[in-house]
Amino acid sequence: MARQIYQAIVDGILVGGVYALMAVGLTLIFGVLDIINIAQGVLVILGAYLSYTLSVRIHLDLFLGLLITVPVMFVIGVVIQWAFIRRLRGRERTSMTLLVTYAVALIIEGLLYEIYGPNPKQLNASYVQSSVHVFGFYLSYIYLYGFALAVALVAAIYLLLYRTRLGRSVRATMQDETAARLIGIEVNRVAALTFGVGVGVTAAGGMLFGATNAFNPNSGYDLISRLLAIVILGGLGSIGGALVASVFMLTLESLVDIWSPQWAIVVFYAALVLVLVIRPTGFFGRPPVRAQ
Amino acid sequence: MTGPPVKKSRVGRRRAAAGLALVLLAVAAILFPVVFSSPVITNYAIYALIFIAVVTAWNMFSGFSGYISLGQAVFFGSGAYAVGIAAREWHINGVGVFALLPLAAAVGAVIAVPFGLVALRVRRHTFIVITIAVFFIFQLMAFNFSFTGGSVGVAAPFLPWSPTTFNDRFYYITLACAVVAVVVAVLVRRARFGLQLRAIRDDEDRARGLGVRTMRVKLAAFVLSAAITGLVGGVWFLYLTQVQPPSGFDPLFDLALVLMAFLGGLGTISGPIIGALIIEPGQLYLTIKYTNGYLSEILLGALFLAIVIFVPRGIVPTTGEWLRRLRTRGRPAIPPAPAAPDPDPARSGLSGGTG
Amino acid sequence: MRPHPPWLSRNYLALSAAAVLSACLVAACSSSSSSTTGTAKATSSPTSTKPITIGASLSLTGDFSADGQAFERGYQLWASDVNSSGGLLGRQVKLTILNDNSSPTQVQTNYQTLFASDKVDLAFGPFSSLLTTPSASVAARYGYALVEGAGGAPTVFASPANQTAHNVFDVSLPIEDELIPFVNWVASLPPGQRPKTAAYPMADDPFADPPVQLAQQKLQALGVKTVYSKIFPAENASYKPAADQVAATGAQAVLLGSTDVPTVAAFMQAFEQQHYNPKMFICAAGPDQGAAFTSAVGKGNATGMMVPNGWYPGYANAASQKMVNEYVAKYGGSPSDVNADVAEAYSVGQVMAQAVTGTKGTDNAKIITYLHSGVTISTVQGPVRFDNSGRNSSAAAFTFQWQQQGTAFKQVLPASASGSVAIINPKPNWTS
Repeated sequence: MARQIYQAIVDGILVGGVYALMAVGLTLIFGVLDIINIAQGVLVILGAYLSYTLSVRIHLDLFLGLLITVPVMFVIGVVIQWAFIRRLRGRERTSMTLLVTYAVALIIEGLLYEIYGPNPKQLNASYVQSSVHVFGFYLSYIYLYGFALAVALVAAIYLLLYRTRLGRSVRATMQDETAARLIGIEVNRVAALTFGVGVGVTAAGGMLFGATNAFNPNSGYDLISRLLAIVILGGLGSIGGALVASVFMLTLESLVDIWSPQWAIVVFYAALVLVLVIRPTGFFGRPPVRAQ
Repeated sequence: MTGPPVKKSRVGRRRAAAGLALVLLAVAAILFPVVFSSPVITNYAIYALIFIAVVTAWNMFSGFSGYISLGQAVFFGSGAYAVGIAAREWHINGVGVFALLPLAAAVGAVIAVPFGLVALRVRRHTFIVITIAVFFIFQLMAFNFSFTGGSVGVAAPFLPWSPTTFNDRFYYITLACAVVAVVVAVLVRRARFGLQLRAIRDDEDRARGLGVRTMRVKLAAFVLSAAITGLVGGVWFLYLTQVQPPSGFDPLFDLALVLMAFLGGLGTISGPIIGALIIEPGQLYLTIKYTNGYLSEILLGALFLAIVIFVPRGIVPTTGEWLRRLRTRGRPAIPPAPAAPDPDPARSGLSGGTG
Repeated sequence: MRPHPPWLSRNYLALSAAAVLSACLVAACSSSSSSTTGTAKATSSPTSTKPITIGASLSLTGDFSADGQAFERGYQLWASDVNSSGGLLGRQVKLTILNDNSSPTQVQTNYQTLFASDKVDLAFGPFSSLLTTPSASVAARYGYALVEGAGGAPTVFASPANQTAHNVFDVSLPIEDELIPFVNWVASLPPGQRPKTAAYPMADDPFADPPVQLAQQKLQALGVKTVYSKIFPAENASYKPAADQVAATGAQAVLLGSTDVPTVAAFMQAFEQQHYNPKMFICAAGPDQGAAFTSAVGKGNATGMMVPNGWYPGYANAASQKMVNEYVAKYGGSPSDVNADVAEAYSVGQVMAQAVTGTKGTDNAKIITYLHSGVTISTVQGPVRFDNSGRNSSAAAFTFQWQQQGTAFKQVLPASASGSVAIINPKPNWTS
């Protein structure tokens, strides 16, 4: 029984790393642009498909392929923000962003179906199946690399936010958009760049997801609700919070899995509701400013 | 105070015209299945009416209060399951199942109370995500419990009516539901209750400062909306003859509600009606028409984008704008002060200031 | 204070306009706006050259799209074969297939359109037990027989519509018994060679659970200890924790209640990462999907994986071989790549064809009686004979296994059945 528990905890942490990679982009977009990006699930899958194409066509290693897919997704993100999100304003902004991001998700999903078909695919590499033997447990390489990548990216984004001028602008916009505008920050550019960064990071999440799951264009839907739960739990806009929340939720689920996989997912969402009742801003969220 | 005095007859005429339109509409609605008796058409109408009722109910809470809920399917599915489980446990077959519909409404209302008490304490995005979380909890419970039939769901008793009769009867039932929903929405909007809701939407803290019992008001609207939705869920279950976790609790259902309300105009009365009328039959029909492939998905997405970008305030408010512009064309926006010489400067100051 | 409530005039004007507009739109949607009695078309056409129209709703997009598209190919292959050999009763067959996007609401709308608007003569079923029940209700109301190949869960036959109208006919293997050949084979092994422990992970699906649960009962009676038996949600974002738990038990046999390839692939990957290789590994579904399976898990890993089914591409049946060759000629790939769904769909067509020729027409009531009369029909999946509930009581369950480095899909059980080859036991270790 103890071994089962340790195994569950290890699994939770490792899978949590993968989810963190997928959630970080979402919380960044949330925090700065104040929108729920329902397309995040499909964007993860898009990243997976991009990695898939690179891997199958030019036999590029999955991690090296990120050097291409991340910038590509960055550009895609900037384009989406500039074309569709930028002009959403007014009192109905919340429902508008819901609908627009949902529309974008539909379009991307349809395109993926057209290009790749419905049959599931999976990313393959030598380190996907193999694992290292540690303390009587098998830790598979891909999850270890994924977790390391998650930590590295979270650190990188922290550096970006706290050590660069762009980062300062981003944080200022997060705190108070009107004030940021008043002191001369080009809020539109910040928004576009942030969306781009958020989507770019998602490319890494997509690659990890694709390496650990068989996926098809429809796989994005299951993801988005979990990702939303994670970012709210971690606190909107908190990068570190996304990592902590991912690991926490996945570990909790993994532990309940020992007893009943069916209820493990319910626990996932129930835990979210419980935490929000006690602490509405999540683990590391800021108290809400008055609507701008 | 006000502008030039309004002729009473003009108000009366407008009211009469509106009343007449209403009567014509009612007659048209009642005669619809007689004129268009093909079950295919009544099928579209039934689904349209189902959505009219639910979107109106959803809008009654979310549109008026500004709390966008993506958990309406919780009540819809619960209503459906309530009717199904009751019919199974109490061995009700045949026409008697319709007597279970009030139970569906009651179940929806009862669920909304704890749901609302928990969810309505947070705002905006957090509220949205809590509604999503509760939605999934319900869907998963439907999968996990044996009394809900697990992944198999619950089947409705078979009603051995001919297709036309079947569809016609359900048409009138769903029409009644839609009428009830709209009437309730109108009453809410006209009442002080509706004003309180809108005050919450505009600025909740200030509303509370002005003495509005925000939690009570929000919860009441939530429960009312849930009851209607539960009722319609029960009707839907009897029409489709089955409910399963993924169809009773369908996440895309919630998004469709937002889209329909948004298209018509959030917070209006006729907005949800128009939105549902356009989108639901449209979606069913387009899937049949463009049956090949994923093109329909891409088109649908593009359509949503177009709606949000070009009709951002919804059809009804935008139409209202146009109508107002038409009506007041040629007239200045602010009526000029009366030119007659007035010996009392205080009074003319008053009338010139407002208007 | 305005002279009249501002919403009064614009609302009602817009409302009436929209209502009228929608009525016109809806009326335009349907090709026939005049009334119809809506009951089944009773007689066959007086002119022998009018085509026989057959309608079906399939999941061409959405959750079941991979299977739905395979089904579409099966139906179309059958239709073109029938037409090129002269049609049915001298009449050409015309298929109308609508997309239901894997949605029950759409399925119901589609069948109502097919019956009342397109007025098709006959109906084929949709894909999956979840969509078959509402389709059966619609078909029962309109008096159509619903011949289908993918709705085999007990709830389909137990549905109120079928209980009343007896109009559902499933040409494929009823699923509860599909693991019985495997159980029988285990029982036939000397006790020392039987697996001592077994794990039963199951997806929450009416298709996947009954066979695994039945197998568990029987294997327990044989003395095989159950070390893991849990149901996990069908839409799971990560199977790793459950799979790792199974791996940790070290069970010698795994009976996986899966419904699709991604589930199987996830379990296989987790097992490989845990350096766990069960001696016997059989899945309810997934390995039967041909190339979709091997491309996701890798051909080397596919070797030894078993799956029950009523059919496989190598089936030694002349009609089946012909169908496989035609499929490969049209869509490429190799015979082992052919998805079992194609054969199921093709069989649906064959059953309907014999019913039409047997009743000399397209009268659905007569067809229903004919199919319930105990007649045996031969299809690419083998013999078909319906019992009172619409199940195919003649269907034989076979078990198949991937062999030869994932290039050959072979029939292995029942060992004594004609066409069975030697089973690979134990399962070879993971490659790569």
